Amino acid sequence: MDMMNKNAANGARLLDELQKVDFCLVETNLYLDAYPSCAEALAFYRTLKEKRQQLAKQYEATVGPLTATASENAVSWDWIKTPWPWELVANMG
Amino acid sequence: MWIYEKKLQYPVRIKNPNARLAHIIVSQLGGPDGELGASMRYLNQRYAMPYRDVAGMLTDVGTEELAHLEIVAAILHQLTANLSEEEIAKSPFAAYFTDHTTGVYPAGADGTPFNARAFAVKGDVITDLSEDLAAEQKARTTYENLIRLSDDPDVTEPLRYLRAREIVHFQRFGDALTRTQERLDSRNFYAFNPVYDKIQPRE
Repeated sequence: MDMMNKNAANGARLLDELQKVDFCLVETNLYLDAYPSCAEALAFYRTLKEKRQQLAKQYEATVGPLTATASENAVSWDWIKTPWPWELVANMG
Repeated sequence: MWIYEKKLQYPVRIKNPNARLAHIIVSQLGGPDGELGASMRYLNQRYAMPYRDVAGMLTDVGTEELAHLEIVAAILHQLTANLSEEEIAKSPFAAYFTDHTTGVYPAGADGTPFNARAFAVKGDVITDLSEDLAAEQKARTTYENLIRLSDDPDVTEPLRYLRAREIVHFQRFGDALTRTQERLDSRNFYAFNPVYDKIQPRE
């Protein structure tokens, strides 16, 4: 596997993990809107959030910025360099 | 305000173009029970909500519906990429193609452009939450109809995900309605508008 393919495979894996943890965050968020004092849900949300922050950092280093403000390259506007989410290639890695 | 995140909530990986499926799936973008109506329903209902937790639920579900709008748009975009003119000409998608080429435009399966009548805002917490419960069930039924009509597992997979989300949203709006009814006057045996007679103070 050459370097570019390896990066793409890592990117696809990180996207998959990010989508999974973000799904859990959305689910827990909606649950907490209805049950705001549930200690178990609050603790679960906090754990997920930490995992999410680490994953997002790894994803942005491997693939590119998730948000415009995460575009940190001083000489090039990386925000528009990676495929948009509706493109097949953005979902295949 | 909103901040855009550059990823889909659920992956869409459609390898084969399919004009027939694009023709019907567009309904979940701009049809009577589609995601555009869903997001606008919840996000616009928020302002008249007397309870902050219910306004929070509407904000968060409404925001998730925007992510679902993007998933349906991605399905349409990928279904219509690399379609041959022959395929388009012989499919019912030809009518849509005439007006929009393969651009993504919110319309129903019958071609009717998106209409704000697809959703309602009544400014009454009981009325609006009851509307939302019905809306989630209508969207679930529509996804089930699309799954019945789909012959491509790549398309069925995200449709099944979106169907499941309708079920979860129904549960959460049910929680919101229960919590609202618990706050009504104990002598109010019937669930009706708590803001009509007097404005309830914020908690």
